[in-house]
Amino acid sequence: MATASVFCSPGFDFSHEIRNNFLQERGVPLPKATSTGTTIVGCLFKDGIVLGADTRATEGPIVADKNCEKIHYITDSIRCCGAGTAADTEFTTAMISSNMELHALSTGRKPRVVTAMTMLKQYLFRYQGNVGAALVLGGVDATGPHLFTIHPHGSTDKLPYVTMGSGSLAAMAVFEAGWRPNMERADALALVTAAVSAGIFNDLGSGSNVDACVITASHTEMLRNYVRPNERVQKERSYGFRRGTTAWKKEDIRNMVVNEDITFTGAEAMDTS
Amino acid sequence: METIDINRLKSGEVNLGTSIMAVQFKDGVVVGADSRTTTGSYIANRVTDKLTHVHDRIYCCRSGSAADTQAIADYVHYYLQLYTQMHGERPPVHTAASVFDKFCYENKDALSAGIIVAGWDKEVGPSVYNIPLGGGLFRQPWAIGGSGSTYVYGYCDATYQEGWGRDETVEFVKHTLALAMSRDGSSGGVIRMCVITEDGVERLFVPGNELPKFWEGKEVLGLPLSTKKAGDEPVPMAIEA
Amino acid sequence: MPDGSFERPQQRQFNPYSENGGTILAIAGADFSVIAGDTRQSEGYSIQTRYAPKVFRLTERAVLAVNGFAADGNMFVKKVKQRLEWYRHAHAKDMPLRAIARLIQTMLYAQRFFPYYVYNILGGIEEDGTGAVYSFDPVGSYEREACRAAGAAQSLVQPFLDNQIYFKNQTPAPGTNHPTHLPLPDVLSIVIDSFTSATERHIEVGDGLEIYVVLAKGRSTQELASIGGLQELTTRAEGDRMFVVRRDLKKD
Repeated sequence: MATASVFCSPGFDFSHEIRNNFLQERGVPLPKATSTGTTIVGCLFKDGIVLGADTRATEGPIVADKNCEKIHYITDSIRCCGAGTAADTEFTTAMISSNMELHALSTGRKPRVVTAMTMLKQYLFRYQGNVGAALVLGGVDATGPHLFTIHPHGSTDKLPYVTMGSGSLAAMAVFEAGWRPNMERADALALVTAAVSAGIFNDLGSGSNVDACVITASHTEMLRNYVRPNERVQKERSYGFRRGTTAWKKEDIRNMVVNEDITFTGAEAMDTS
Repeated sequence: METIDINRLKSGEVNLGTSIMAVQFKDGVVVGADSRTTTGSYIANRVTDKLTHVHDRIYCCRSGSAADTQAIADYVHYYLQLYTQMHGERPPVHTAASVFDKFCYENKDALSAGIIVAGWDKEVGPSVYNIPLGGGLFRQPWAIGGSGSTYVYGYCDATYQEGWGRDETVEFVKHTLALAMSRDGSSGGVIRMCVITEDGVERLFVPGNELPKFWEGKEVLGLPLSTKKAGDEPVPMAIEA
Repeated sequence: MPDGSFERPQQRQFNPYSENGGTILAIAGADFSVIAGDTRQSEGYSIQTRYAPKVFRLTERAVLAVNGFAADGNMFVKKVKQRLEWYRHAHAKDMPLRAIARLIQTMLYAQRFFPYYVYNILGGIEEDGTGAVYSFDPVGSYEREACRAAGAAQSLVQPFLDNQIYFKNQTPAPGTNHPTHLPLPDVLSIVIDSFTSATERHIEVGDGLEIYVVLAKGRSTQELASIGGLQELTTRAEGDRMFVVRRDLKKD
């Protein structure tokens, strides 16, 4: 009898690959992953970085989550917006965040944004685009503010204003029209909001609210649901159901209380002194 | 002739559809590139720096997949730092180019990268190496690459001459790239150049609105038609009774 | 393959159809009919327009909603209207609803091997004064129903209507029965809630809502008094009356 293998390599588990390739050849489609058909943006301003994101997650044409978080924590002063396959952006950023913490502990310094960027691009390049994470990475470190985009195949760009996801074209149009060097914090935040809003209203993959994150050398401010332009409207009717609406065929009430008789057989009481 | 085979790029991959160039002259080399990065028809970056530092006096010009060429350049940069530590001196350009060639040749199935390596070393002075798509190492006095290069081979053949100084070489690179960028839709933006000599690296920048202009065709709309004569006005069609 | 060749033969073909999103629905009452559709027209992740009507008045008592490929839909409505005008010239009266339904079947089936890529829902008042809804597939199969949803969010809306209109999966209170027809205000509320809900969960639904209400001759308009954004479309006195309600939907 063959012994079952107990070897478990670190990282991804490819044990279903052969079966899935076979099924795909026979015309069985692979399950669809939740994609964050997204608008994510970032922009440089006088004192740091502003990141922005919408909050819609989709599965094909269906809205899977109306208020998800796409700005992920990397370190206290580095954040990362994710577009693409939701699972990949969440796992990748969580893993890099963990490795950045370990790196900070081993070097005894606050980690740099380029470090996170390099770790992310090397990880994504290794998986040749199969890890579908499109990221906007921003933060402030000892060398100043930095803003990067990282594509799923592992290429990176360093720019003063960036957009990604399905709404990136709508958002970039706003940046190309409105971005100026050395903007004030309020102006940068307004521009980021306008860019994400352009994605929310003009791109079907993006929607709901605007999340923003302002990172400066001294402070990081996460502005969850900074603007909520798409509140749910009041329903015309209430859809409560009368008790007894659901039909049943059988009723069985059981007694879940357990009774147990205990007989003391010891001659003396236990010494509890 | 080098061409970028579109089928080689993985779907959705970021492409440096590029015009790149390097020319050697008496005291050094001039490397130059456009600044356009595309994903399909979208310009993902209009101010890209495709002139990548791999050592103090060695730069590379990248064309093909952005992810692949960045990864290769990072590896070579690492390797040359190691080389410097082990040998206690700067690596020759040929060594750097050989490392690029090794990566490109041995991983040709997985990569789409066309790279030009150029720089200055104390052994041979200025040198330019071309590493086309599947690998291979060719020393050339000048090299052009990327999708835009196909438009300007004729211009380069007709114009290049040996024995130029710095300024003439810079002008040659600038003109060649401007011509390539004007014909190739995947190239454009600004021109970035580096002049690498024994003394150091000088960066040059030509904004998109200051590119050298060549013949751009005559204005057609609004001009009077010279061929038009009196009596050419439209007349009602003759109808038989 | 690395050399640019392919393992298998590749077939390429021009696709004359596209899918433009949106949703339509219609509900028939005892002596009225409600036909509604959103006004967003999209392709892929882009909005082509926020106002492209999908619901059209055909006669004084017939309304047609079309959904699917917008170009085909508009052309189809144009041709149906043309046939109805010819009918008016020939017979000096409007075509009855059930006849329009049969006409639509014939027109759709005529294109059996190059179909109009549209789902049609016809609503209005029959000659006997009852509210009616007819639904069609793209090649002309049709039936008369009490309610029907079609389009992008059909899978979201139809189960809701089945539950609220047909009272599916709802056992009536002991000694009572579910009503066979709902009153107009209830139907309008259900229509509006269907679209606001579909807008929440379907990316291709939104921007605007157009609800056509056809009331049988002599019916009271009292129940419509409190409805906001109402406009009357009736052109002839003493006949069936037609109204349209326009509402905003979320635009994200």
